[in-house]
Amino acid sequence: MTKKAKTRAADISVTITALILGCIIIFPVVYCIFGAFKTRVEFGSYPPALLPDSFANLENFKEALDKTPLLRYMLNSLIVACLGTAVRMTFSVLAAYSFAFFDFKGKKFLFLVVLATMMLPGDTLMVTNYLTVSRLNLLDTYLGMCITSFVGASQMFMLRQNFRTIPRALRDAARLDGCSDLRFLRSVVLPVSRPVLLTLCVQSFINLWNAYLWPLLVTNRDEMRTVQVGVTMLTAVGNTNYHLILAAVTLTLLPSFVMFIILRKNIVKGMTSGALVG
Amino acid sequence: MKRKWTAWLLVLAMTAVMLAGCSRSESESTAAPSGGTQQEGENATGENAAGDSDEPRTIVVWHSMSDDAGVLMDQFVSDFNAGVGKEMNIQVESVYQGSYSDTSTKLRTILQNEQYDQLPDVIQIDATGIVDYQNSGYAYTVDDALAADPDYDLSQIMTAPLMAWNYGGVQYGMPFPASTTVMYYNKTLLDEAGITEAPTTFAEITEAAEKLPDTNADGADLTVYAQIPNTPTLANWIGQIPGTDSDASYVVNNRNGRDGTATELVCDKEGTLKTFLTEWKKMYDAGAVANLGSGQSDMFFAGQLVFFTTSTSNLNTLLTTIDGRFELGCSYYPRVNDEANYGATIAGASMCMFNKGDEGQAQAAWEFVKYLCSAQVQADLAIGTGYFAVNTGAEEIPEYQEFLEQYPQYSVGLDQLNQTSTDMVNVTVGPSTDFYLTIQDMITMMLEENMDVDEAVEEMSAALNDLLAQYNRNNAS
Repeated sequence: MTKKAKTRAADISVTITALILGCIIIFPVVYCIFGAFKTRVEFGSYPPALLPDSFANLENFKEALDKTPLLRYMLNSLIVACLGTAVRMTFSVLAAYSFAFFDFKGKKFLFLVVLATMMLPGDTLMVTNYLTVSRLNLLDTYLGMCITSFVGASQMFMLRQNFRTIPRALRDAARLDGCSDLRFLRSVVLPVSRPVLLTLCVQSFINLWNAYLWPLLVTNRDEMRTVQVGVTMLTAVGNTNYHLILAAVTLTLLPSFVMFIILRKNIVKGMTSGALVG
Repeated sequence: MKRKWTAWLLVLAMTAVMLAGCSRSESESTAAPSGGTQQEGENATGENAAGDSDEPRTIVVWHSMSDDAGVLMDQFVSDFNAGVGKEMNIQVESVYQGSYSDTSTKLRTILQNEQYDQLPDVIQIDATGIVDYQNSGYAYTVDDALAADPDYDLSQIMTAPLMAWNYGGVQYGMPFPASTTVMYYNKTLLDEAGITEAPTTFAEITEAAEKLPDTNADGADLTVYAQIPNTPTLANWIGQIPGTDSDASYVVNNRNGRDGTATELVCDKEGTLKTFLTEWKKMYDAGAVANLGSGQSDMFFAGQLVFFTTSTSNLNTLLTTIDGRFELGCSYYPRVNDEANYGATIAGASMCMFNKGDEGQAQAAWEFVKYLCSAQVQADLAIGTGYFAVNTGAEEIPEYQEFLEQYPQYSVGLDQLNQTSTDMVNVTVGPSTDFYLTIQDMITMMLEENMDVDEAVEEMSAALNDLLAQYNRNNAS
């Protein structure tokens, strides 16, 4: 076997493996979307079918929207996820920049403090966070729902690792030419780190979009609820309405899909560069 | 150098975790003594004796009614606000708080932080939250409400659902909603197999299994019965066995944790666990029961499951989904053996009230709770879902009478309820989730590894006693 043929064989096997893995990963999503068009009776049919009888069956969506104010909840989730992501990314970028480019006393210690917060499980903070948010009179507000996610150590860490790949000499040269740090950040660092930035944005958005317990804790009014709470309104004790749940989940997946499709290329780049850095 | 930093990091993380732990237990311990301040609340009652109905009041209600029941709940609230509430100057604001356990989590968070002003006026809780409510120190019990409103006739509420929320003689909440467990069956399949009477015991289910075919008309595998016993089902099956000095036996001591904190298992010593496991294993070995924890409803709808034990509250869904494809039969919850009594414990939730120092507010909350338990609302809830109409006055409402006539399946649950001994109560234990899962794990292990029943009893009692001991040690006051 020639060397070329060998690489080709390896390429093919890698592609096939990737394809199989991809199918396994995407299957639940596909099943969810197909399931959203199934009637309740179809769920129990034998043998189980992947495809629904008809894609024209929109009853599930209608019923889900009738039983819960899902659209209003989606708006709330969108506000919380966008606000949370925007602020979190701003803080992360600024912190990561200073950790990557500035030298100051106690830098390493501070960096470790930030990393240490990653090791605290979120559940242990829930009760104390609730107290803080409630004392700040932020219950039932969008700010209260996303304030605890304004600073994210993992995002900061990823960005700092990425920023460090940019030669410091570049910054020194820029400074000599009278370029301020903020301008350097804006016109050099950020464009170069675009893939990582966008990947982190998507990850953070989906994270906040999927949050359940915290938004439930800090809101007490129906109109402030998020979309994940809306999904649970469709189940009853001992009676999971799979057809309605899947319809609602399909609707809630839409924003994540849109986001993914728009940023697809960058995410792929971000993942590969992240792999090299990590 | 690097190692030093890592050490620092570890120290930091540990301190942080410890601090988080401390602040939590601190708030718990400060919240605990206030459990005894119920009398204080009652004193406050006397001081601000309210009754000025001119002042408009807003009552916040937290509930967990979802799906069809959720739609009905919204309806009840808007009816109240437009009718009784308007007359009395009370407006209700109802908030869905996720599942019952989500509500409990939220209640616990508020209590631990002592943010009592954030408590609602009315909270709907099930067995998972009742202990927190009792210890909150702000409970406005039904007894308190009745002291201020002696005209209300509590006897219009059915005894069994009412007693389900009575702990140590104190009526903590009003049942809303109430259901019990019955056995639904695919009557068409039974008819085809020539079985005329629905089985009433495990042995009779096994007998029926022998007569039933292996596959249904579509060629799909037919499962006779599917269940993994858990805390509530165990409470039923152990509870059916007559006890030494009561009509029912118990899973844990202190009458299933009702008269005090449950500290140990009693069903192992009394032999009831062995009786149950023996009969259950016989049924499993005969292929009459599948060890399945979920998905029964969909199997049942598809005509692949013959017997299906579930809450009476699902009747409406069952009827609409089956949609006449087969005949839906309903019978009493199956018994362990011939000596056991019929019956199943009450499930559901209760509406509990808080008194945050304003007696008038608590009385307004009571008005809404009374409304929810009124004959008309209960009849509507029964018709819309299958939950019991706990108000006996519902029997006089024509729509309800019609409903009873049209759906004999509903009456089965009611009859069973009237036949169930009030001694039979559900299990209240601290580590409720672990308890539930351990029972399922142990029984699955016994069946799949073909373990000896005596050995299974021993292992199960060791594991469950361990859970109780650990919980009680950690929560000792």
